Amino acid sequence: MTHTTRKAALAGLALLGASSLVLAGCAAAPDSGETTGPALDFKPCMVSDLGGFDDKSFNQLGYEGITEAAKELGVEATTVESNAESDYVPNIENLVSEGCDLIVTVGFALSAATVEEALANPDVMFAIVDDAADNDFNGETDAPNIKPILFDTSQAAFLAGYVMASYSTSGIVGTYGGMNFPTVSIFMDGAAQGIDYYNSEMGTSVSLLGWDEAAQDGTFIGSFEAGTDSYNAAKNLIDQGADVLLPVGGPIYQSAIEAIADSGKDVAMVGVDADLTETDPDSASLFLTSILKQIKVAVAEVTKEASSGSLDYSPYIGTLGNSGVGIAPFHDFESKVKPELSGEVDAIAEGIIGGTIPVKSYLAG
Amino acid sequence: MTAATVTAPERSGVGRLDRRSWKVPIAFGLVTLAALVLFVILGRDRIVSFNLSTGTDLIQLPLLAFPALAGGIVVTVVLAVVTAFAVFRVWERRPVPLWVIVIGTVVAIVGFLAWAGAGATLQVPGLLTGTLFLATPLVYGALAGVIGERGGVVNIAIEAQLLGGAFTSAVVASLTQQPFVGLAAAGLAGMLVAFLLAAFAIKYFVEQVIVGVVINVLVSGLTGFLYSQVLTENRQLLNSPVRFDRIDIPLLSQIPVIGPTLFRQTILVYLMYVIVAVVAFALYRTKWGLRLRAVGEHPKAADTVGINVARTRFWNVALAGVIAGFGGAFFTLGSNGAFNKDMTNGAGFIALAAVIFGGWDPVRATLAALLFGFASNLQNALSVIGSPVPSEFMLMLPYVVTIAAVAGLVGRSRAPAADGVPYIKS
Repeated sequence: MTHTTRKAALAGLALLGASSLVLAGCAAAPDSGETTGPALDFKPCMVSDLGGFDDKSFNQLGYEGITEAAKELGVEATTVESNAESDYVPNIENLVSEGCDLIVTVGFALSAATVEEALANPDVMFAIVDDAADNDFNGETDAPNIKPILFDTSQAAFLAGYVMASYSTSGIVGTYGGMNFPTVSIFMDGAAQGIDYYNSEMGTSVSLLGWDEAAQDGTFIGSFEAGTDSYNAAKNLIDQGADVLLPVGGPIYQSAIEAIADSGKDVAMVGVDADLTETDPDSASLFLTSILKQIKVAVAEVTKEASSGSLDYSPYIGTLGNSGVGIAPFHDFESKVKPELSGEVDAIAEGIIGGTIPVKSYLAG
Repeated sequence: MTAATVTAPERSGVGRLDRRSWKVPIAFGLVTLAALVLFVILGRDRIVSFNLSTGTDLIQLPLLAFPALAGGIVVTVVLAVVTAFAVFRVWERRPVPLWVIVIGTVVAIVGFLAWAGAGATLQVPGLLTGTLFLATPLVYGALAGVIGERGGVVNIAIEAQLLGGAFTSAVVASLTQQPFVGLAAAGLAGMLVAFLLAAFAIKYFVEQVIVGVVINVLVSGLTGFLYSQVLTENRQLLNSPVRFDRIDIPLLSQIPVIGPTLFRQTILVYLMYVIVAVVAFALYRTKWGLRLRAVGEHPKAADTVGINVARTRFWNVALAGVIAGFGGAFFTLGSNGAFNKDMTNGAGFIALAAVIFGGWDPVRATLAALLFGFASNLQNALSVIGSPVPSEFMLMLPYVVTIAAVAGLVGRSRAPAADGVPYIKS
């Protein structure tokens, strides 16, 4: 009796395990874009990193870019989400065997997998978002058929840093990030330089907490998830007197919203990647501005270019000059910032584009 | 007849120990050495200030400021004295008293803070509030673990119970716009997960660790699936819960340092104080506690005196599930609001470590959880003011503390005798 019930229990347990695996698989179900018109012989494909295509950040923007371009071209985009780091190579391999002409991988996490697959499949076009695909650091892309899509975000962050310094009344602004990666710290570097520029222009001493440009280290919560760690990081900055926050790392800003609400203080926030006032209108009253990365536009452009059958593999670098990066309008803060600020920002942007105001970053040296 | 006498563990005599354990003196010796190198030789000769008050306190304490180098020297000397005392005690074959260990640890921490914060102002209330904040879900999880393991069921699924509680409370509190209903739902969700564990572990005698791991994967998969397929589509309706408001307790919240830390919290934290107190009392002083410990230490003996072992274990695992579920609600209703995929981020496993570090005792497990909370918060608080320690190292700290703690700064801990062993009535 006992023996049979135990067996049944083990079977039940196995069923549980299997069903959870199936569930985990569900989230990764290949997602197909809509098709319109007659088929062009072109198959654009995309692999996400762990964030998935609903991350309200670069995966989502990349996804929107490729589906939009595919729709315009009248073809179908095949997109696959990765649920684990071990998914990267198999996901790309599956897309190659499905006959994809262009494979866009999103995020530096897929760098090694992309290089490996690009070398193995020289006639497939590859593009990678937010990474130079240069894992041996020799300054060149590791495979000839990868187009890096990069953003010199520090230029836009410079403007945002200037705005933060100008808006702050306490003279203290704060930033924190998910993890200390170049694509994260480039925002902080830019903001730090913008604040320094404001201080030297205005003779003030606004300080930035959470990032030490010289040491290239600062406050990082160790993940790119909203949650208690992110909340606590924001709270610590507010405790130290910061009245403008710059949380860098996809959804982690959501916890900062709650921390600001709980503090009862008048704290503003600067968004990253997308214009948060548009993507998260419920909290629009907190967003001073956002540092924009036009991932959607860049991915769409690369997709369209690749549809002709060939691709210029020189890296795409989004800058203020080509509108690949920028800062969002002040929206609700229009009346709260200094009236001359908008003009000052435009002038600085021109200075950066013209080269009279140098902005340092890992992309611009 | 108490549970302790039933098991007759191999304990050494009271007073003098038969073997000298050099763990504590060696540990303090290393800390003293580190202090000498870091605080004195590599000392940073700048003023460090500790701010003990928040802006809204009635009584404003003055800023505590002293030169970091001088502080470092004092700390090193105190640590050397503590080490010498520990060596003396062990030589005398006597245990090192707990209060000495506590004083040594606190002094070492203050010294480290003074060194790392040299040239800046440390917000002490912020540091402590953050500690409690990060520790709250760990405390709930650890209490659930203590109850389960005292009853003889190893609960690896604390993580799943926290996650289930976080998910359910977010959805229910969004739908009803009532955080209390969300909290109740979180308890229920934790209990459902516990039922699963209890059914397999107690009724069908399946290896408990394996069941726990499978449940963790199941709940993570299930909530992750529902999150990306359902919650993100209907964020307004399903994932924008009303959070608990902070309640300042009159008078108590005005005590300097302690007030802002302990008495300006949400109901979830106050509930935690109550649960810790009740569990700590009931485990040792009520019939419930005695029975629970009996089935965990010697189920056969408990069975002979008429305690239904399976039923006692089943309902206590369920009770533990409710507590862990409440802890899960803290992730959403107590802090972040919206639910996120895998937002518990391993808290359940740290809670498990706290159970072992705390020696299966509710109060000590709570203290262990607070220590982990402090270690996690330290990185954050220090990097904000520009700490000399790399952020990656500081992120590692809670786990280093976990390993060091479990590996035996406090000596070998003894699990309940029948922990993890199914009771098969023959």
